[in-house]
Amino acid sequence: MKILDYLMMFFSELIILYMLFVIMSYCIMFIVALLDIQRRYRLDPSEYDDAHIDAFYSKPVSLLVPAYNEEIGVVDTVYSLLNLRYPQTEIIIINDGSTDRTLQTVIEHFKMKPVQQIIRVNIPTKQVKQIYQSEIYQNCILVDKDNGGKADALNVGINISQYPYFCSIDGDSILDEKSLLRVMKPIILSDGEVVAAGGNVRIANGAKMQLGSVYETNLPKNYLVVMQIIEYLRAFLMGRIALSKFNLVLIISGAFSVFSKKWAVEAGGYSTNIIGEDMELVVNIHRLLKEKKEKKRIEFVPDPVCWTEAPQTVGVLRRQRRRWHQGLMESLWKHKKMTFNPRYGLIGFISFPYFWLIECLGPVIELAGYLYIIIAFFLGGIYYEMAVVLLLLFVIYGVIFSVASVLFEAWSMNTYPSMRDLFRMTILSFTEIFWYRPLTLVWRCEGLVRFLFGKSDWGNMKRVGIAKKENSV
Amino acid sequence: MIELSIPFLLSAILVMLTVLAVFIVYILFQRSREVRFNKARAVYLQTYSQAWYAFLFQDAEFSIAMIPRGKAQVAAVEEIFSSYLKNVINAEVTNKIQNSANQYLKKFYAKDLTSRFWGVRMNALYRIADFRINELLDEALQFEQKKISKEEYFQLLKIYSILQPEIFLKKIKEARTRYSESEYRRLFILLSDDVFNQMFDDFYNNEQNIQLAIIDTTAVKRNMQFIENLKRLLNDESDEIKIRALKGLYEIGIVDEIDTYIPFVTSNVWEIRLMVAKIFKYAPLTYTYPYLEQLLQDENWWVRSQAAKTIAEEREGVAKLQQFIAHADDQYAIEMVQETIVRKQGNR
Repeated sequence: MKILDYLMMFFSELIILYMLFVIMSYCIMFIVALLDIQRRYRLDPSEYDDAHIDAFYSKPVSLLVPAYNEEIGVVDTVYSLLNLRYPQTEIIIINDGSTDRTLQTVIEHFKMKPVQQIIRVNIPTKQVKQIYQSEIYQNCILVDKDNGGKADALNVGINISQYPYFCSIDGDSILDEKSLLRVMKPIILSDGEVVAAGGNVRIANGAKMQLGSVYETNLPKNYLVVMQIIEYLRAFLMGRIALSKFNLVLIISGAFSVFSKKWAVEAGGYSTNIIGEDMELVVNIHRLLKEKKEKKRIEFVPDPVCWTEAPQTVGVLRRQRRRWHQGLMESLWKHKKMTFNPRYGLIGFISFPYFWLIECLGPVIELAGYLYIIIAFFLGGIYYEMAVVLLLLFVIYGVIFSVASVLFEAWSMNTYPSMRDLFRMTILSFTEIFWYRPLTLVWRCEGLVRFLFGKSDWGNMKRVGIAKKENSV
Repeated sequence: MIELSIPFLLSAILVMLTVLAVFIVYILFQRSREVRFNKARAVYLQTYSQAWYAFLFQDAEFSIAMIPRGKAQVAAVEEIFSSYLKNVINAEVTNKIQNSANQYLKKFYAKDLTSRFWGVRMNALYRIADFRINELLDEALQFEQKKISKEEYFQLLKIYSILQPEIFLKKIKEARTRYSESEYRRLFILLSDDVFNQMFDDFYNNEQNIQLAIIDTTAVKRNMQFIENLKRLLNDESDEIKIRALKGLYEIGIVDEIDTYIPFVTSNVWEIRLMVAKIFKYAPLTYTYPYLEQLLQDENWWVRSQAAKTIAEEREGVAKLQQFIAHADDQYAIEMVQETIVRKQGNR
C-alpha cells in the first residue's frame, strides 16, 4: 500500500505541476492575443483592404489546389479562387492521379484544353502527364500527374507556378473574397521580410455559400462540429497569435497559407515522406533562415478567413486527430536537434519545448490526469482532495479558457452574430471536459502510439461537399 | 506538496466566471447598440440617399435635413460619399463631397482624432484623406505632435500628399519613420507629376527604400518624360537600382535606341541580362537579334528562356530560331529554343 501511496502522490504532483504550467502559458498567450486584437477594435478594415487592391501595390500569387478524388468540392474551390479580390493570380489545379472523375469534372466545367508548357524542375516530382489551360479563365491551369501524395502535387504546382509567391489551398476549402489580400498584407508591407504567412481557418459547416462565397454564418446543429469550432477559436487565441508575434510559429495551416517560392524551393519544397508536410515546410524554412542568419519571419494572420469542412462523425474526427498528432510527432522527432540548440534562437528555446511539452506530451499527461481522478475516487480517503483539485484545474483549463475565447471572438470579430449561437457555444464549452476533451486526448495518444510503432495512416476524409450541406446542416 | 486548496480554486473559478458573465452582459448591450446604430443608418440612407444624389449630380438644393446628426448618420453619409468616390470620376462631384465633408463631417473627425481607441483615430485619418477635408489640416499637424503610431503617421503623410504636397516633401525628407517600399509607392502614386518630378530631382538624398519606390512609381506612371530620368539611373553603382530602372523602362515600353542597353548584355548579373532580353521586345529584331542570340546561349535558364520568347514574338522570330537550331552547338540553348517553338506553335 505504501508504494501505491507514493506513486499516487508522485503522479498527482506531476500532473498538477504540469496543469499549472499549461494554464500559465495559456494565460500569457491569451493576454498577448488580447492586446494585439484589442488594438484594432473599431477599425474599419475595408479601407485597408482597398488600399492593396491594385496590382501596383501587391505581389502576384500562384494559387495551388492539390486534388485527389475531390470531384465534389473542387469546382466550388476554384470558383472561390476566381472570386478572390486580388489583382494578379494564377490558379493551378493539380490532379494527383485521382481515381474518381476529378479530372473530367474540371476539364468539362472550365473548358480545359491541353497546352504545351516548359516546366522548370526546381523540385523533383512524379511524372506530369499533361497540362491544360482553361478557355474561359486564361489564368486557370490544370495539371494531370501520377499519384504521389499531396506534398508531391504541391511540388508540381510550385514547379509550374510563374509567380514569386504561392498559396496552397486544400481541395475542399472555400476562401473569403478578401482572404488573399489580408494574408498577403504582412508580406507586401514587409518588403519580403515575411517569407510565409498563414491565415485563420474557420469551419464551413453551417455557413451558407453560393458559387464559392460565404454570405451567412450560422452555427451548425452537430455538437461535434460546434466543439471543433470552439477548439479552433481557442487554438487561435491561445497559441497562434502570441507565437506569431515573436516569430515562433511552427504550424501554419496547410488549408490556407502563402509562401515565398524562393525560400520554399531552397528549403526543398514539401517533404513527400512525412505526414504533416505543411509543418515540415515551415520548420525547414525556419531552420534555413536561422542557418543562413537571415532576419526573415513567418507570420500567422488573424483575420483572413479560409473556410474548411470539419469532420461530422466521431470516426472521421478520430482519424484526423490521430493523423495530426502523428504528423506533429514525426516533424518534432525529425528536427529534435533543434530543441534547446542556441543556433536556432527562440525557435529552439521556446517553440520546440512548447510543442514537445504542451502539444505533444500534453495528451499523455492530461489523460493520466483523467485516469487519476477516476482511480482516486475509487481509492477514497486523502485522494479525494487531490482529485477535486485536479478536476478544478481541468475546469479552468477546459471550461474557462474556452468560454473566454468564445466571448472574446464574439466581441472582436463577431463571426457568429446571432445571440442564440453565442449562448449555444458558451453552454457547450461547459461540457467540453466531460466528453470532447477526453475523446480527443485518447485519439492523440493513439497518434503517439502509431508514431512509436511507425504505422502510417493517411486518414482520407470523406467529403460531402460544403455547398451541398447548405440544406443538410 | 503543492499548496492548492479546494476553496482557493473554487473562489478563483467563481471570480473568473463572474468576469465572464459581466463580459457576456456587455456583449449583449453592445449588440443591441449595434442593432440600433445599423437601424438609424439604414433609415438615413433610405430617406436621404436620393437627395444626396440629386445634390451631387443634378445641382439640386441642399436641404438642412440632410445634415448628419450623430454617429449613425455620419456613417450613412460616409457610405454615400465613399461609394461615389470609388465609382465615379467627376471633379465637380469630388469638390462637392470635399465641401460637404468640410462643412458637416469635420467636427466629428476632429473629435475622433482625440479618441483613446487607435481604430477610431485611424478611421478618422482615412476619411480625412478620402474626402480631402483640408480644413482639418491644422488638426492633423497638431495630431502629429502627439505620440502616434507608425500607421497613423503614414496616414498623415498620405493626407499631406493629397492636401499640401510641400509639407509632404518636407516630411519625407525628415524621415521620422521608415516604411517599406510598397508603402512609399502607395504615397508616391498619389502625387501630381510636378511634385513627383521634385522627388526625382532629390533622388540621391533619399534612403534606398524611397529610391526604389520612386523608380517603381515612375514605371507605373508610364510617362515619357521620365524615360531620361530612368536612363540616367542605369549608370548607378547599385545593381538593384539598375535592375529596377531597366524594369521601369520595360514597363513604359518605348525603346528609341538600343545602344544604351548593349553593355548590359554582358553584365555579370543575370537579372540585368534578363531585363535586357525583355526590353529588346520593343525594338526591331533586325537590330537586336545578334544580342538576343548571345543571350539564347546564356548560362542562366531564365535569360535563355526570355531571349527565346522575345525572338519568337516577332513575325520572323520562329524562322530565326529554326535557323539557330541548324547551326548552334549549345545543347541547352537548342532545347530551350525547341521548346519555345513547340509552345509557340502549340498555342497558336
